[in-house]
Formats: sequence, structure tokens, C-alpha cells
Amino acid sequence: MKATAAPSDATLTVDTSRRAAGRATAVPRGRKPLSWKKLSTPWVYMAPAMSVLLLMTVAPAIFIFYSAFRNDKILGGAGKFVGLDNFITAVTNASVQHAFLITFGFVAVAVILEMILGFALALPLAAQTRANKVGAALMLLPFAVTPAVAAMVFKQLLNPNYGWVGYYLGIFGFPKGIDLLGDPTSAWIVLVILDIWQWTPFIALILMAGLQSLPGEPREAAMVDGASPWQMFRHITFPAMVPFIAIAAVLRTIQAFKTFDSFKILTGGGPGESTEIINLGIFRVGLQSFNVGLACALGVVFLIILSLLIPFMLRIIGRRADPEEM
Amino acid sequence: MTTTSSTSRGGAVARVIIGRTFLWAWLLIGLVPLVFMFITSVKPAGIANQIPPAWIFQPTLENYASVLSAGGGKSESFGQLLANSAIVSLGATALAIVVGVPAAYALTMKDFRARKGLSSWILSTYMFPPIVAVIPVFVFAGKLGLMDTYPALIIPYAAFNLPIVVWILRSSILQLPYEIQEAAMVDGASTWNVLRRIIWPLLVPSVATAAVLTIVLSWNEFLFALSLTRSGAKTAPVGLQQFTGMYGTDWGNITAAATLIVAPILVLMVVLRRQMVAGLTFGAVK
Amino acid sequence: MKTTQLGLGAWDLPWRKQGGKMTRSFNRIKRSRVAAGLAAALTVTLLATGCTGGSSAPNASAAKPAELRMLYTTDEANSAAVASLVPQFKEKFGIDLKIDNQPYDALQQKVFSEFASSSSYYDIVVVDTPWAPALVQNLEPLSQYLENGALNPDGPESNVGDFIPKVFYDTAVYNADSPIKRYPDPKAKPDVSTIKSAGFDVYGMPIQSNVAVMAYRSDLFNDPAQKANFKAKYGKDLTVPKTWDDYAQVAEFFTQPDKKLYGTTVMAGVGDWATDDFKTLLASQGGDGTLADENGKPTFDTAEGVQALDYYAKLAQSGHVPPGSTSADWGTTAESFGSGLTAMTINYHDLKLADNVKGGTIGYAPVPTAKAAGPHFGTWMLSVNKNSKNKEWAYQAISWLTAANQQTTMTAKSLHPSRTSVYSGIKSDNPLAPFYDTLGKSLAEGVGRARLTNYTEVSHEVAVAVNNAATGAASPSDALKSASEKVSALLKSAGY
Repeated sequence: MKATAAPSDATLTVDTSRRAAGRATAVPRGRKPLSWKKLSTPWVYMAPAMSVLLLMTVAPAIFIFYSAFRNDKILGGAGKFVGLDNFITAVTNASVQHAFLITFGFVAVAVILEMILGFALALPLAAQTRANKVGAALMLLPFAVTPAVAAMVFKQLLNPNYGWVGYYLGIFGFPKGIDLLGDPTSAWIVLVILDIWQWTPFIALILMAGLQSLPGEPREAAMVDGASPWQMFRHITFPAMVPFIAIAAVLRTIQAFKTFDSFKILTGGGPGESTEIINLGIFRVGLQSFNVGLACALGVVFLIILSLLIPFMLRIIGRRADPEEM
Repeated sequence: MTTTSSTSRGGAVARVIIGRTFLWAWLLIGLVPLVFMFITSVKPAGIANQIPPAWIFQPTLENYASVLSAGGGKSESFGQLLANSAIVSLGATALAIVVGVPAAYALTMKDFRARKGLSSWILSTYMFPPIVAVIPVFVFAGKLGLMDTYPALIIPYAAFNLPIVVWILRSSILQLPYEIQEAAMVDGASTWNVLRRIIWPLLVPSVATAAVLTIVLSWNEFLFALSLTRSGAKTAPVGLQQFTGMYGTDWGNITAAATLIVAPILVLMVVLRRQMVAGLTFGAVK
Repeated sequence: MKTTQLGLGAWDLPWRKQGGKMTRSFNRIKRSRVAAGLAAALTVTLLATGCTGGSSAPNASAAKPAELRMLYTTDEANSAAVASLVPQFKEKFGIDLKIDNQPYDALQQKVFSEFASSSSYYDIVVVDTPWAPALVQNLEPLSQYLENGALNPDGPESNVGDFIPKVFYDTAVYNADSPIKRYPDPKAKPDVSTIKSAGFDVYGMPIQSNVAVMAYRSDLFNDPAQKANFKAKYGKDLTVPKTWDDYAQVAEFFTQPDKKLYGTTVMAGVGDWATDDFKTLLASQGGDGTLADENGKPTFDTAEGVQALDYYAKLAQSGHVPPGSTSADWGTTAESFGSGLTAMTINYHDLKLADNVKGGTIGYAPVPTAKAAGPHFGTWMLSVNKNSKNKEWAYQAISWLTAANQQTTMTAKSLHPSRTSVYSGIKSDNPLAPFYDTLGKSLAEGVGRARLTNYTEVSHEVAVAVNNAATGAASPSDALKSASEKVSALLKSAGY
């Protein structure tokens, strides 16, 4: 066992000597039952953080499970138990099904595009030159912009009568005064572009770190052997990048499911209901129509779906990124 | 580098050119919204939304002055909203660090059998969609009279960022050589003292990273601020909406307000670039 | 409550060990504590029920508070106008009037959550018509206050008979047991005893009355060149349109790309404003502009409804409205007209032209009609919080604020008055005289919303249908049919 004492211990010994007297010194694990103090200390340290987390996750989850079976409205009075009504509405309502579908669609499309574009940005920026430092800093700027602000700025840019986008597109031959937010397809394209604009730097940064951490020897050896760029990418670069790709993809997906600001500000769910993702739907039902019961039922369904989807992804990060297991 | 065939070198040059062109095109186009935002904010009132866009004009700070002053039936000045954002962000960060450091430490204690399960659980709370949490919090904040108060935002913000904060801190602690802790414990130091005197000083860079992350994400948060505040604790991103109303949009004012919201984060970007990068990639980039 | 299972077993240990010793002493303390607690609870309950007897008569000599707190809007109900009266209020009553201004969405949330928690913080609350049916039980009925002579020292000036009848009945008169009911005789001069004997009561004093009004660029309509062109093209004189067909024609005429001009605006974005555009058209075709009847059945999926929506969709797609109209709302259309982009508009307040619109002048007229007239209207009212501790003084405050003199004063800040005498008293040299003239006339014809507790949800479905028809995503009849089904389901789940 390592027995050398660090010099800084001089400051520690005085006030802890009493405790030290009653305590066993370094003993191989598993030989002696752990003292009460040793058992409870980690829990004491965990307690504040756990209270905060329990308060904001488990407690709300309990509330929504409870409320979903009732029809409380915000003005209270007595809501009554309505059994599965809210759930039936939630699951069978065509608008709700549509909302879930477009949410998943959006997440899938956005994340995939961001991964590809992130890679395309990370490759040129990986080399550590001064120009690249500047480039990386510039690339990061959109990421620093508050999403609500970015959405507002995009909205102004897209104003059909006064926005720059409409004007300059008009010069390039598009119909004048084009209303990109008034058509479902173009509105979706705009929303995805906004998401890409904001989040690709995030992916690119992580991938850059991955590229910069690649050891040089395998690459050099492959070049000596005359490998083509594609072969090099496929057999050397890509496999080494997998942990980084995994973290980036999973983190980005979790965040993408939380998207709210851009949709609320750019389209508010319109045109029609074509961009009303589930987050917007729950917000509208719960905090604008004050139908708490239905909103909670929708929340429960959403939570269940995420609980099935995410742990699968988390196992990927956990396995690849946990320093203890690496 | 060893030699390669001429075709693959030519191919390599082509790829580099395409790569760099793409990069610079991306950067240029990507900066347009920011350029628009800033330029419009210094345009005088009459030409703010003029088409074709005016590129040559006399810049003015009148929009900023107007935005930062209160009055005229508005309930609060934007300066007050920025202050609220700052209070809430710093409060949430302080809370997250104060509860996160001990928790991260606990999760590295070798005798703590539950640590793997707890780590997973904490990380899994990251996926809890805020929209699902906002309704119960809204109902209870109302009942407890906490609506439109700072704690109503500080606690949720700390909770949202705690999983990542703990993750970052925990990885950092695990990377410290265990001998340091062991030596201190052999000498009879309590875990508290180990944490305070040995681990904490070494942890400060990671704490800075985690703090920067929490500040930025709290500053930018919109959903909870929108739902839980009215005027007392309203934050700047929500307040941005007040420049669009029944009478139209005040372009100069709204872009000035937007610039004011984004400016502090951009400053942080420049001053604390490494922490920002590390923090915003959740510790994946050191 | 379900206990979490996160290995908190470790926490139990210390408690269990000392449990035995603790429970014994706890029991002893418990018994005396419980007795005291019960006694306290009993007293409190007795006091509480004594104090909050809902039907107790207003006390004319209630203690005067130092301040009254009011929850109000920002621009939506012209907060600047009310704010301008605060010093005068202090002079008259010796009370500080503290006003909390909130924009629409935040205001609605705050109003609802204040009532949900039975808060007594705000004495006076501003209520918009769509919210009133859900809130009626939380508002103090005012008939007893209105009839109490001591509380109404300003006599005739503040009496309800002076309110525009349709506005008054639509805004403030409800049957608390069945809020969906409308007062049977909306053109009768308001009188408290008649209202009471019909089973209704008064729940607020109307303050800002909004109705759809048409605004147009009078300089363009008077321009000789334009008039000549119009006559040449259509063979008749250019006049301010009175029918919807004329309106469409004039809009076509004024779409002049060389002048960067469009005919008019529509607010076809998904939101309450689109529903309002539609119900105005529906009422003018002879349909039911309130959108649902008193049995809780939707009434807009009819021949008139399809006719109205068809017209609207054609107008939205005609190119005679500016681009972006299918995402437009109140603010966007005001901006379009204000910057000189359109020759006409329909909106709910007076408009201003930007400085760069040279020589522009604005005229106002009632919105066009077809078989009937029924511009959408909705009025804000000041109500007394049932939980307030200063109800008598709150009543006097709102009575004074909405009295004829004060409303006249507030017209200097463009308030939309709710009293007939104020409209007839507007002097012709008032710069907004034409606007007020049209406003008054339109309010007399206005049609309100159905009194549904879940009106916002119903309105959303109708707005989606209007938007789909306007963009061409659905045919008007399909859109209306789909909306009607959804609304029926919504109404059923609301208990109608």
C-alpha cells in the first residue's frame, strides 16, 4: 500500500488527531465492516444535490402522474378524478400524434445534419494553427447567442417586407416579398437552419477535440502503406472518433428534445399547426389554456417515450466517456 | 511526411481547399445575423427597417438609451431585466457549485457502493424535459407565493445544470492521483478536510468551467423565465418580447436589447475562452 | 405519497435507534399540542366564515386604505391613459393607486393564478372578455354597490345607464350560475334593477372598448389621379368601400407595385386575431358572430361561415395584401399600414403613419358589411377582486375611473371610451374626432365572443382553420368542418 505522507499533512494532523485515534489506518478494503461514519458521509455530501434534483425531477413527475388522472384547471375549485380520459385524449388526438411525430422528425434531422456539418467544420479546424484559433472563435459565436435572441433576430431577418433575407433573395431571383414563415415546408427549413446555425459549433468543438487527440502513428503508418484518404478515414480516423461522436450525438439529441425557444418565437406553432412540436403543445394546453390535467397527461406520455429512448443512448456515453471505466 | 502519389496529393490539396472554402463560407454567412443585430441597433429610428437596407448612416446610441430607461406604461426598464438575469444566473451558479462539489466528491469515494447507480441516475435527470417540470413548478410556485421571485428561477436553473456540473467535477476529481487523498486520509484527515484542503484547490479550474457553463445556460434560459415571472424577476430574454406589440415592432430597440443580452456572453467568450469551450461542451473538450 | 427508493435506507438508521425514547416524550407533548391546535383552528374558522360572508352588504363607512392595488395591461388597454389619472385620483380620494402593468399573456397568467390562490393582493383587476366566463365566480358582483347611494356620490355621471348598451351587456353582465347566458335584451338602456330581476348581475365597469374599425389613407382616396384611374378602370367613383365586394375591388385597385403599395391587410396568423377577422365576416353574412350558441354548440360551420371564409381566403391569396399576411397579427398589420405599405387596414385602435410616409393622412370608417353588420368587439373591464379587503373603496375607484368626466380626460391619451355621453361630447377639434366617431358607431353594432370558459382553446382551433384556408392548405369548407368537430369535442370536455 502507498504509505508516504504528503508534506502538506502538517496542517491537517492537529485538529484531526482525536478522530485519528479512534480510526483504523489504511486497511485493505473488504476486511473490516465499514463504520457508520464511512457509510453515511457520502450520503451527507450527496444530500443537498440530491434534494435539488429530486425537487425538480421526481417531485414534478409525481405531480404530473397524479394530475394526469384528474381534470384540474388552474382556477382549482375541485378537479375530479377522470381516470384515463386525459390519456385517451392525449394518445388518440390527431394533433398530439402529429406533434410527437414532428418532434422526433425534427430531432433526427437536426442532429444528423449537425453531425455531418460539424464534422465538415472540424476537419479544417483541427490543425492547431493561429488562423484556426481565430476561426474556431468565430465559429463559436452563434453558439454564445441566447436562443431566444437568435430566434428574434432570425424573425426580423425573415420579415417579408423589411427583412434582409427577403430583400437579398429577391435580388437573386426569388419572388419578391417571399414569406418563408408562411409556408409549412419553408418554415421547417428555417427552423432547422436556425438550429444548425446555433448548435453545429457545439458538435464541431467536440469533434475537433477528438481529431486533435488522435495519435499520429497509425495515420503515418497508413500513409506509408499507401492508403487512400477514404480508407484512412474509414479504418483509422473514424473508429478513433467514435467516443467523441457518441458523446456529441447523445448530448445534442437530449438537448434537441428540449427545443422550445426558437419554435415559440419564430412560428408559434404555425402555419396552421405544422410546427407545433410537443413542447409548444404542452405549453399552450397547460399555461395558456390552463388545462392542467391534459397537459400533465401529455407530459407523462412524453416522459415515458424519452425514458425508453434515452437510457439506451446514455449507456453509450456512459460506457465510452466514464473515466472510471476507460 | 513520407511521399505519396501525385494524384492523392492533388486530391489532398483539393480536399483542403474545399474544406477551407466551406469553413470560411460558413463563418461569413453565420455571422450575418450578428452583424444585422448590431448594425440595426445603432441605426436612427427612421431608417431602422428601411428597405433596401441602409449601410451608410450616422450611428447613434439612442436605441440603447431608450431601451435602458423605463416608463411610459412599461412595467420595468430593460436594465432592470438585465440585472435580474445576472442575479438569477449567478445565484443558480453559486447554488450548483455549492451542492455539486460535495456530490461530485461523494461519487468518487471508493467505499460508496451506490455511486455507480447514483451517477447514472443523476446523469439521467439531464434528460427530464423542462416543459414537463414547468407545470408543477408553476402550480406550486403560485400556491407558495413564490411566483415571480428569484428563487423560483434559481433553484430550477441549478437543478437543470447540476447533472453536467457534477459530471464535469467528478471526472476532474477522478483524474487527480488518488495518492494525494490517500496520504491525507492515512494521516487522519476527515473527508471534509480532504475535500476542502486537498481536492478543492486542485478543482478550481473545473469549477470555473462548470460555473461558466451554468452562468451561460441560466442567462439564456427562456421557458421557465417566461412561465414563472411577471415583472419582479423577469429576465432579459423574456423581456425582449416587449418590443413587439400591438403597434408593431421597434426594430432599433429590439436589436439594441438583443445586443445587450448577447454582449456579456460574447465578452465571456473572449476573456474565458478555454473555460467556455470546456464548459459548453460539457467537459468533453478540456 | 410514493416514497423514493433511492437507497435512503441509510438515513433511517439513526432515527430507528433513538426512536423508542423519542416517541414516548413525543406522545406527551403531542396531546397538549393537539388540543391547543384544535382550539386555535376552531377560532380561526369561526372568524373566517364570519368575515367572508359573500352576500354581506357593502359597508358605506368601511375604513379607507392607504393604497389600492390594481392589476392592469400595458398597451392593450391603454395603460398610459389610466396612469395619467393617478395624481387626480390621489387628490380626490387621498388613496395611492398602485398599478401593476403586464403585457397580455403574462397578465392572463397572473390574473388566473391570483384568483386560483384566492389572493387578496390586488383589489382591482382588469378582465378581458374571453376570460370573464371562467372568472365570474371570483369577481365581486356590483349591483349592491351600484344601488348604494352613499357609495355613488357622483350620481348621474357614474351611473350605468350611460354605458353603450351592447358594450355593457357583453362585457360586464353575467349570470353567475350559468355564465354562457347572454342578457336577453342587449339594446335596452342598462338599469341595475332590471338586470338583477333577470337573474344577472354586473361584474365590472367597462373601460377600454375595442372594435374592428377600418382605417384608410384619405390622401390616396382624395388624390385626383387615383380617382381618375379608378373611374376609368371600374366605371364608378372611388369611395370608401361600404360592402365587402367593394372592399375587395378597392384593394385590387390600390395594389400598385410601382408605388410599393398594397390594397389592404389581413391578420391571418394563428391567433385570436384571425378568429376575430373571421367572425366579423361571418356576422356580416348574417351568421352567428359569437361562434357558439348558449347550448354550447359551435355555430360557425354553416353556409354563411363558408361564404365568409371563402371571401377571406380569396383576399389573402389575391396578392392584394402584403406578403407575410398569413403570419400577421395586430402588430404586423399596424406596422404595414403605418409604414405606408397598404392603402387600407382593419384594426382595433387608432393608427399613426411613420415619418417617411409623405403627405399621408388617415381616415376612419366602419368595417364593410354585406347582409348585416357585426364587427368583432371586446372590451376590458375593471372588476373588484372578491377576496379584496377594500371592496367598497375598490368599487368607488373603478366607478370614478370609468365615469364620464374621467373617460373624457383619458381621451387625450386615446382611450376608447365605453360611455355614450363621452362620444357625443367629443369636440370636433379633437385630432382623433373622426376615429372616435367611427369607434362609437361601430361599438353600437359590435358582436362579442361566445361566453365559454375555454374560449381560448376554441379560438385557437378556429384560428388554425382560418390560417389553413388563408394559406390554401385546406378548402374553407373542409377547414371549418374540421374546426367544428374539434370545437365540439372541446366544448363537451368543458362540460357544456
